[in-house]
Amino acid sequence: MSDHSHDLPFWKKYIFSVDHKMIGIQYTVTALVFLAIGFGMMLVMRYQLAYPNQPIPVIGQFLGEPIVAAVENPDTGETGYVLTGDGYNSFGAMHGTIMVFLAIVPLAVGGFGNFVLPLQCGAPDMAFPRLNMASYWTYLPGGILMMFGFFVKGGAANSGWTSYPPLATIATTGQTIWLLGMVILITSSLLGSVNFIVTVVQLRAKGLSFFRLPFFAWAQLVTAFLLLLAFPPLEAAGVLQLMDRVAGTSFFDPGGLIVSGVEQNTAGGGSPLLWQHLFWFLAHPEVYVLILPGLGIISEVIANNTRKPLWGYKSLVYSAIFLGFMSFIVWAHHMFMTGMGTTLSTFFQATTMIISVPSVIILTCLIISLWGASIRFTVPMLFALAFLPMFGIGGLTGLPLGLTASDIHLHDTYYVIGHFHYVVAPGTIFAMFAGIYYWFPKATGRKMNEWLGRIHFAGSFVFINAVFMPFFFMGMASVLRRQFDQTETLHGAAVQGLSVMSTWGAFGLAAFQLPFVFNFFWSIFAGERVGANPWHATTLEWSAPSPPPHGNFLSEPVVACGPYEYSVPGEAEDYTMQSPPPATA
Amino acid sequence: MQLLGQATDIAPYANWMPPMLSEHGGQIDNLISVLHIFMAILFVAWGAFLTYTVIRFRARAGHKADYHPVKGKASKYAEIGIGLFEVFLLLGLSMPVWAAYKNNPPKADDRVEVRAIGEQFQWNFHYPGPDGVFGRTNAKFIDAASNTVGLDPDDPAGKDDIQTIGEMHIPVGKPIYVRVSSKDVIHSFAIPTMRVKQDCIPGMEIPIWFTAKEDATTERVKREMIQEFPVADVDWYRLRHHVAVQDYQDESGQVILKEGEGIGLSREAGEKKLKTLRDVTDTIKMQPRNPLEIICAQLCGNSHFKMKAQVFTYDAAGYQEWMDNAVPKEVEIDFGGF
Repeated sequence: MSDHSHDLPFWKKYIFSVDHKMIGIQYTVTALVFLAIGFGMMLVMRYQLAYPNQPIPVIGQFLGEPIVAAVENPDTGETGYVLTGDGYNSFGAMHGTIMVFLAIVPLAVGGFGNFVLPLQCGAPDMAFPRLNMASYWTYLPGGILMMFGFFVKGGAANSGWTSYPPLATIATTGQTIWLLGMVILITSSLLGSVNFIVTVVQLRAKGLSFFRLPFFAWAQLVTAFLLLLAFPPLEAAGVLQLMDRVAGTSFFDPGGLIVSGVEQNTAGGGSPLLWQHLFWFLAHPEVYVLILPGLGIISEVIANNTRKPLWGYKSLVYSAIFLGFMSFIVWAHHMFMTGMGTTLSTFFQATTMIISVPSVIILTCLIISLWGASIRFTVPMLFALAFLPMFGIGGLTGLPLGLTASDIHLHDTYYVIGHFHYVVAPGTIFAMFAGIYYWFPKATGRKMNEWLGRIHFAGSFVFINAVFMPFFFMGMASVLRRQFDQTETLHGAAVQGLSVMSTWGAFGLAAFQLPFVFNFFWSIFAGERVGANPWHATTLEWSAPSPPPHGNFLSEPVVACGPYEYSVPGEAEDYTMQSPPPATA
Repeated sequence: MQLLGQATDIAPYANWMPPMLSEHGGQIDNLISVLHIFMAILFVAWGAFLTYTVIRFRARAGHKADYHPVKGKASKYAEIGIGLFEVFLLLGLSMPVWAAYKNNPPKADDRVEVRAIGEQFQWNFHYPGPDGVFGRTNAKFIDAASNTVGLDPDDPAGKDDIQTIGEMHIPVGKPIYVRVSSKDVIHSFAIPTMRVKQDCIPGMEIPIWFTAKEDATTERVKREMIQEFPVADVDWYRLRHHVAVQDYQDESGQVILKEGEGIGLSREAGEKKLKTLRDVTDTIKMQPRNPLEIICAQLCGNSHFKMKAQVFTYDAAGYQEWMDNAVPKEVEIDFGGF
């Protein structure tokens, strides 16, 4: 199997590759680039929020219309470039879209899922390698198309990542590009999810029963089902909105709208709320698509670095499945303020409370796993340990939003922004970092530098809290989200200082990503060389050489035990591999 | 500083929240407080356990991990406890408040009705006037200057109707029944100080109701929100919605900041004014221009952040006075003549 991999021409090996590992790396690198772009947009927005209507230093002049507008300083006569309201909204909508659909999900699922999952299953590749390649090559053009929105008249989509009609229907051309991009990206996700499910179901190694699968594989499996079942409604909704924009239909248009004093000449009869139901029917499961792979990574890292089996492995698995199921019946808690009656809101706030139970169980299992351990403070483990309380904050702050009565005050405020960013940023993104440091040796045969990793971790941990912690207090003071300038309102102006703090936190956070970027590229070429199993781990990916050749394993793995057999009494080593590699490796 | 009895601590941003001036809002604040105490206990307990565990079970020479899972029911009890508490939150606190807020609208003869119509980027208000009946409206009558709600000039019921832009006038102590709608895109009608929020969906008219506390009149709240700002530490952003409550003069007796005036409408002007103020005083006493704002809570376009309106609350006499002045003058109201 591995023989002909060297014969492949460059473009087949590195570009149009059908090898799950290369596709995983392609996904990872592309997603990290998008992550940086989304983060960069956020820095510009945060500058405007801290210093409303003041010229953006250094990069302002490069952003161009309609993102920025030139203003002259009356005192000095110098020209500065300030962000415009439309520019802010474009960046806001695109920051959300990029982070969710182009960065985190492709990184968590396309990157880690692709690279690790077949290895952990003991498979030579994904079930459908060509479908896998098609998935990446649908994702990349979709992403590029999304970014192309910035170059059309009126700029990129500016109706929020949620694109609520009628605002989105009457928006500039960028919205059409956004919808086309979404349809393409969703198609990519669907291609990927089918592949993941079939691979886990069909391609597990001999002896690898479902309950011997690492939790990461379970998390990916549940995630794939979520993508498969939740995305089609949004794809349909996206096409409907596209038709409303370009073909004169009125699926989401109630008719009789008077925009800027002009009555819109449309048939009407549609419902703006229909979009919200369809959108959130995807977008709530999407939240678990964002977090489950992260939980999977954290579980692997914790088991490996505690040197003992995960506590409550089966509870973890059942919780993940239950979480996946429940995530389909909580969506309307995003819509409590649309005029929902008591019956409907009772149902959705009850399901929302229920869904917190499996999350609590997962977190509890992971924390108790530390008891009786022998904890190694490797870089991945540092990120994993920080993940636990950060994800805890993200989860806990969901409570006041999930209960309708407290949501009245907090809905659409920065409290919401703080809540989901704690889940996704110091939550999922920390998990992604843990995963990168953890599997980097598998992908490259080299380890990332430990000290640079620690600097990256410590700085990120401090500053990411400086970015997001103020949001809860701003939300309590009822600073609303998606505001170009919070000082425009009395209560916003009162807590402007918190916004300044958050902005400086963001710049600090940016500075502490530099060691990571350097470390990442430097280690590819000059990192410490390591063998197949540098972390002394147990799961199947560590039985393959680093990096694994085409076809992955030197001999077919046969699994004899569960995924986390660490510190088994009576064994010579403190880890018992699921399938020890052949003695020659 | 207390506004009313026990619950309305108006000290600005006690618990970080804006002053609470409605009758139902106390329960919402109460729930938010209970939740945060519960969250803090859980977080501290988890955090302490995590810290202790990480230190105690760190890898070191001679220490080995234990293969066997820790036995004990503590985690199970904790999970059940959390579950039960969530049931209590749901059934005991959240649902009753929501039901009280959403069910049982105030009776038609006991409420003040007003229509609030959002549009990019202003709030339009429509009052039925003394006859208590809204006039017919139609889009074709809309005029951006004189008739933003599109009142039909031929409908007698509409003759005494009142329209305002950017100002909502309401009495305290009486249920206010707002019919919320939108002309164009989705807006959200939010009054933070009243703990009121309702999306405005085009094509729908959604009612929402609340009662301002008996002595939460605008004048009173303004007085209660007087605050002394250290001039050295504040900037224009912080003070842009405030006005001075007394004159500030320099040594020569020239007035630098007059009572009732703000420090300036633009940042440049404001920062200059602040600079001169720093020479004559250490602190300035100011109050909000208007503490009760309606803001739009749903992204509605490029000026979404500026879409706001003022609420003015009056006692019964003050409200009557406003109403008398606001009713269109040319209308002769004949209540008994049919």
